[in-house]
Amino acid sequence: MTITKVQVQQAWTIARIEMRRAFLSKRGLWVYLLALFPAVAFFGHGLQMKFMEERWSRNGLTQARVVDSFTKGEKVDEILKRAPNPSFDHEWTNRREDEGDRDDKDRKTQPEEPQRRRAISYYDGQRVIDLRFTNGVLVEKHVRFFRDPTDDRRVFAVIFQFFYLRLAIFFGCLGIFMNLFRGEMLDKTLHFWFLAPVRREVLLAGKYLAGLVASTVIFGGGALLGYAAMLWPNTGVDAQAFIAAAGWSHAFWYAAAATLGCLGYGSVFLAAGLLLKNPIIPAAVILLWESINNFLPAALQKLSVLYYLQSLCPESALIDEQQPLLRLLLAPAAPASKSLAVLGLVLVTALVLWAASRAVTRIEINYSTE
Amino acid sequence: MKGTEVIFEDVSKFYGEVLGVNKVTLHIPPGITSLVGPNGSGKTTLMNLMTGLIHPGRGSITVLGLSPRDPEQLMRVTGYATQFDSAPRWATGMEFVSTGLTLYGYSPTEARDRAWQALEQVGLTEAAGRKVAGYSKGMRQRVRLAQAIAHDPQVLVLDEPLNGLDPLVRAETISLFRRYAAEGRHVILSSHVLQEVDLISDQVILIANGMIVAEGEIRGVRDEMSEHPSQFIIRCRDASRIASLLFCEDHVTEIKMNDDRLGLLVLTRNREEFSRALTRIALAGHVIDGVIPSDESVDALYEYLIGGGRA
Repeated sequence: MTITKVQVQQAWTIARIEMRRAFLSKRGLWVYLLALFPAVAFFGHGLQMKFMEERWSRNGLTQARVVDSFTKGEKVDEILKRAPNPSFDHEWTNRREDEGDRDDKDRKTQPEEPQRRRAISYYDGQRVIDLRFTNGVLVEKHVRFFRDPTDDRRVFAVIFQFFYLRLAIFFGCLGIFMNLFRGEMLDKTLHFWFLAPVRREVLLAGKYLAGLVASTVIFGGGALLGYAAMLWPNTGVDAQAFIAAAGWSHAFWYAAAATLGCLGYGSVFLAAGLLLKNPIIPAAVILLWESINNFLPAALQKLSVLYYLQSLCPESALIDEQQPLLRLLLAPAAPASKSLAVLGLVLVTALVLWAASRAVTRIEINYSTE
Repeated sequence: MKGTEVIFEDVSKFYGEVLGVNKVTLHIPPGITSLVGPNGSGKTTLMNLMTGLIHPGRGSITVLGLSPRDPEQLMRVTGYATQFDSAPRWATGMEFVSTGLTLYGYSPTEARDRAWQALEQVGLTEAAGRKVAGYSKGMRQRVRLAQAIAHDPQVLVLDEPLNGLDPLVRAETISLFRRYAAEGRHVILSSHVLQEVDLISDQVILIANGMIVAEGEIRGVRDEMSEHPSQFIIRCRDASRIASLLFCEDHVTEIKMNDDRLGLLVLTRNREEFSRALTRIALAGHVIDGVIPSDESVDALYEYLIGGGRA
């Protein structure tokens, strides 16, 4: 079959018309919730960080070299002399020592001694330093990074791979692409297209294009928005250096993974919408396969869309080393190269679309059986 | 001739185990052809088959030499106003017609011009900007007709096109069909009321239970109809007297008295003579409360045609 200019124009015309259905279908507005969830979550997290930062720096920042100089055993007065404006200062009296500090025998023989406790925190612009004093002496010092871009990126990678790719894009594509043919069957409007001077394959291409554009904008945009929301509160030098060095590349690959996810899952659900009346069955089967994917041997892992999508992700969602059982069960196969992953997904998509194009020529308008 | 006809060759279509049409062979020439049959007889199935919305299980179909499996070519010469009463939710009357036209390769301006002309022909320009979903049944019928004629097709297929039209629009629509037929095009329409298409059709195809019962020029079918006695129910107070008067009429073949003796079932071979006889009886002072035709539905005709005149 040769593709003519007229057919390309027809496919584009159909795509333009169908985009309205793909973007604004009342049945599919929940897709936006899925796509925007990471962005909303990270934006909320960012707002919280900004709010806390504002609270920490209300009394001014303390120089890093000053807070680094605090050592255990120092008196509180000495510390306050060097750093007179803590971000947080709270003092109280303990009537008895912590039970863990004494055994039962001691408790019975020794009288309770009130202890003066004090908690002071400093903020140097990057780190929060928590100091704990007992009877005016520094006994504990904890340093934590207020913002940890590396940690944020790892959390984003986990959310992207375990929520966005596996659930959001999966179900989003189910909603968008199944609706393109099956939705028209239910609305009893598919004959409108079948009575146009358009090859069924061209109709399929136009509808798929509409779904792909819509899903890419929604989920690719959602991924970028989420990534931007993750980076937004990280204004430190390290974060800026990361954005300059790899930020754009990471953003590109997250968007690419989302787009290729839409490409692959979209073709599968478009074909399913042509072949099956009930979307629950294919969705359940594919979801099960993709969900158990990480528990399968490496060779079988490569037979899933998710494997290739994960290979495209710029950061791996590391399994927590503290969870040996999970570590034992999950044995991710070595990721494919990015070029192989893209090629694999495109080939799978082409194969599924070819099967769908065979199916669409056999479809009949018989609304009474729907 | 092959390229100018709509041809069904031994076509059968089953919906699972349910018969759609069975072993249909038809050669439909240009002009107005009416597919007539009771509901569920297979009229819509034939129309859907010739436009490729469904595919035959057996046999072959060509429309002006084109296969219904090739919509790219077929729908350039064919317009089909279906009975499906739904339209895309987004579409106004103008969009419904013009969107289809853009797929024919018309520029947006040309498409709008043609759509406007088509809407004008069906008297729907005032509602062109309104959503089709909000149209009345008659308006939706007309907008489907507008869509079918907008690209000026050679074959116009219309499923029950006169349903829900007011008399003025109906007359205009019929004149549109006649104009198309006069230009040597095909107008293939369906109806379950034979009397409705009687006057406008060049030929009729009577279909029942998925099979062709009669086919040909309208006169032949009409003659067949005239042999079929018409039935009337007369509600009156003096039923026995009126029955005896009607028995004197040559055209009355049978009279049955109702149990309550307040009604008669009369079979006549001449409806006009029967009407005149009733007028005479009424003028003679006999009270007739009402006259109801009891077999005007095409179902009764089919029972007669298929059952060998049992009705």
